[in-house]
This record gives sequence, C-alpha cells and structure tokens, in this order.
Amino acid sequence: MSSHREAPEISTDPVADSTDVYAFVSPDKPGTVTLIANYIPLQTPAGGPNFYEFGDDVLYEIHIDNDGDGQADISYQFSFRTDVLDPGTFLYNTGPIESLSSPNWNRRQSYDVAVVQGSSSRTLGTGLACPPCNIGPLSTPDYPALAAAAVHTLSGGGTVFAGQRAEGFYVDLGAIFDLGDLRPFENLHAQYGLNVFSGPAPGVNATNHLNVHSIAIQVPVSWVTGGHPAIGVWTTASRQRVRIWDADNGENVDSGPFRQVSRLGNPLVNEVLIPLGKKDLWNSLPPADDKLFAGYVTHPGLAALLPSLYPGVFPHLAALDASGKPRADLEAILLTGIPAGLIPGFENFTGPVLADMLRLNTSIPTTPAAKQSIYGLLGGDPAGFPNGRRVTDDVVAIELRALAGVTYPLVDKSFTPDAAAGKLTDGLTPASVSSPYLSSFPYLGVPYSGFYNPS
Amino acid sequence: MPSHDAQQPPAGASMLPGRLSRRGLLRGAAAAGAAGLAVTAMGATAAPALGSESRTPAPAARATAGPIVVHVRDARSGDIEVFSGTSQVRLRDKDLAARISRAIG
Repeated sequence: MSSHREAPEISTDPVADSTDVYAFVSPDKPGTVTLIANYIPLQTPAGGPNFYEFGDDVLYEIHIDNDGDGQADISYQFSFRTDVLDPGTFLYNTGPIESLSSPNWNRRQSYDVAVVQGSSSRTLGTGLACPPCNIGPLSTPDYPALAAAAVHTLSGGGTVFAGQRAEGFYVDLGAIFDLGDLRPFENLHAQYGLNVFSGPAPGVNATNHLNVHSIAIQVPVSWVTGGHPAIGVWTTASRQRVRIWDADNGENVDSGPFRQVSRLGNPLVNEVLIPLGKKDLWNSLPPADDKLFAGYVTHPGLAALLPSLYPGVFPHLAALDASGKPRADLEAILLTGIPAGLIPGFENFTGPVLADMLRLNTSIPTTPAAKQSIYGLLGGDPAGFPNGRRVTDDVVAIELRALAGVTYPLVDKSFTPDAAAGKLTDGLTPASVSSPYLSSFPYLGVPYSGFYNPS
Repeated sequence: MPSHDAQQPPAGASMLPGRLSRRGLLRGAAAAGAAGLAVTAMGATAAPALGSESRTPAPAARATAGPIVVHVRDARSGDIEVFSGTSQVRLRDKDLAARISRAIG
C-alpha cells in the first residue's frame, strides 16, 4: 500500500484505489516478467457478509511504456463481472467452497483480460474465475487450492491471477503519519516539546494481517520490450464519467467514456511527494504529464522536513536543502531512470521524458534469494528497487534514505551524506509480514482468513 | 431497493403539470436533432485538458447504449454533454439548453 488513500478523492473510492504496483523479472521463470497491481487497501479479513471484490464498474489497467515517451505502448485491461446464483439469500456462500465451480459459492466474480497496443486490442481471456475471499475453515477449507485454481493461462501464453492476497507492503503507518515518527529513532524526534519518547522502539507493521486485491500477470519479456530492455510500468483505474443513482431501481448507472481516477508507478510518490492540492490531479493524468510535478521531486518537501523533525541528525541534508539545488538524483530515480555511467553495471534509463514509472531493466538477471538485499540497488542488489520493484523490497527505507541524501553523491561527488541517512528505516522487514511470500506466481502470500484474523 | 422519496412522481410522469417530462424532453431533443437543429458537435469523446486520455474497454461489452445522460455545462452558451454507453458527444445548442433548464424549473 505504498499508495493507499493517498489523495482526497480516491480515499473515498477504495475499489478504484491502486495501492501498489510491482514489476520484476520472474525469479522462477527466466525470460518472463511479472507485473502486479494491487487495489482496495486495508482490507480486514473478516469482511462479511459482503466480502471485498473488484469493481464491476472499474476499468483496471497495467501499462507499459517501451519507447520512453511516458505514454502506454501496451496496456493490459481487466474488466470484472459479479454473478449471484441465488439473490434470495443473504449468504456469500451457502456451504463449503471446495472448488471455483462449487454451487455453494453464491456471489462470485470473473474477469476478462485484453491487451491494447496502439489502436488495436486483442482479448486474451474471458470469464476467468477469481478465487473467493479467504473466510475460514468451514467456508474455504483449502484456500491455497482455491487460489491455485484461479491461476489461468492466457491465450497465446502468459499467466494471470486476480483476487485476494495478503498485503505484502510492510510499513509503520501509525508512526510515520504521526508527524514523521520513525520508531527506531523516535527518541531523536523533535516531538514538538511533548517529550513522549525516551528511547528507540521497534517498528510496527500496520498492514500485517490485512489483505488486498491483486491483479498479477506474467508474460514473456519479448512481449513487453521495445528496442531496448528497459520498460516503464504503471497501473491505473478508470471510471465512466457519469454516475447516477437510480433510486427507482436501487442501483448506480454509469455512462460515458472511462476517465482515469487512480494511478501508481513508483511507490510513495503521490503518497508523500505530491502536495494535497495536486494529488487528485496527479491521479487523473498519465506519466507523460509529470513534468507538471517535477518540482515536487527535485525539491521534495519531506527532505526539507527531515532536519527539523530530527534536529541535529541531518546537518548535511539541511545544507543541501538550504542551497536550493535540485535533487537531480531523485529525478533520475523516479522520473527518468538512472543513466549508464553513474552506477557501474547498472542503468534503467528510458529517456529524457519526465514520467513517474517503475523502470525495469529486463536484461539485469534476478538475484538469488539468498543474496537479495531488501534495500535493492542501495544494498548493492541491482535486481531490486528502483530497478522495477519486487514484492519484498523495503521501498520505505530505500526512499527515506534517498530523500535523506544517500543518492545525491551520484550527481555531486563532493556531497557527503549524513551518517544517519544510510540507516533510516521504520524498523520493518519482510519478516514483518505474517503470511509468507510465495516463491512462485502470484508471489504475494495466502490472504488472511476472517476466522483466524477477526480484527 | 425502491425509492421512498415521496416528493417525486412515479417514473415517467410529467415533472410539472403542462410541461415536458424528462423522457419527453429528451425524445423531443433527439427528434429535433434528426430534423436538423443547429447542433454543433464539438467532438465525440472530447479530449480533456492537459492531455490525459480516456480509455474504453477493448471488448464491446460496455459500449451498448444504456440510459442517455445529458449534462448542461452552461445553459447560457448552450454547452451540453450527452453520454450513452461509453460514448460522449459535446454540443452547443442554446435552445436545447434553455428547454432543459425550463423543464427542471
């Protein structure tokens, strides 16, 4: 949920709220990339009687730019449909759901997948079944099997899944949005004179035991790359322009063309870099328009806040902020990709167009699990964020460290980051997620059941 | 769930005595258009500002016409949007805008 309820309008529309997007070369399927787009944040598992589901009235898309202009060259479109077998009961299921075709499963969802390239579109799958939500030992007695049955093969190859998964993004939301408190360092926080914290504390993963709805697609690298191996990836959700509440029939009626209401490329951009007054606008625009917001990346408000939130800890960052110099390092990381020559053996540069996209260099091999660093490129692991984003990457720590100046020497070798900059963390790791990640598609863990996780 | 708004007349009835009902107004508007009112189409699926683009689903599943929704953006200038299915047309028709405005009172 590196982008959840991050803008005023989308915070009222969770079904269309994109929360995370991931892009990585599949570690267990060489030659393929996996793209994951998550929606509907902060799902408590005990979600009955109307369990969480995708919106039938939302157009979900995963976009790929493979020529560096910030516009989609390839878009995978996902459209959902809900069917109720027996509208005369209030029950989501009338008995154990032991297969995706179980007659006991009353309210179920399916979806169509299409790919759009230029002016042409092609259907890759129709009527593909989602799994049910994970309810409990009576309703969904073998949930992993149900979820596995919902992994489908697309026409022409490729693999797809759409349904509930365990939230994989770990973050101490409660502390971070309490005026920038990082629990491991909270005794160093200015605390506004309140003197609440006298020592460091461990991080608390606010998203643990919460679920999310995930759309995952795995396709050959050759399907998505253009003339070079680096691609830009982002996800969007769109709604029709007009919605009317038909009071006579007790339903919403939608009309008109679809318009984008949510967007997500790099984690945490709209969340903590774009100001409140521009977040809704940002969500409505394509990455190609991000030059309009570049100033919020090159002069990030959060970087300016860190020295005052943690007095005496970031003197070098404070001086950099005071100099007014643009953060060209952040512009490279978030808006263009890192060009060749800055980091030995690494680049994910897609061109000069400023566009917030996850940039994945598909020619960089995956890092074996035992050698991975959750700090990605900052940890010496070129297969991790900001080279795409894997499900386990600690994007909170990575971006905090980058904002605090760890990456500025890439563009100014005379700058020495503060010692604390390279240690910033909210105190969490992938182990902070109780449902283990999977080593194969769709990579996010089994969702938490409402029975065993009632609150 | 049926509406319990007692102030609204049953669906399809005239809004006010002697005046056009909503459906009648739109049927008349469509007929007038077919008869050649001075309607300037400002472009189907008009592009929004700042270059953002709309997308419609690739399958035609949602493209079928449902209700027709009329949005009078500016009654004085006659700036009207009409929506149906996944389509949108923008018109400039002061007369139509005026008639719609009178219908709603």
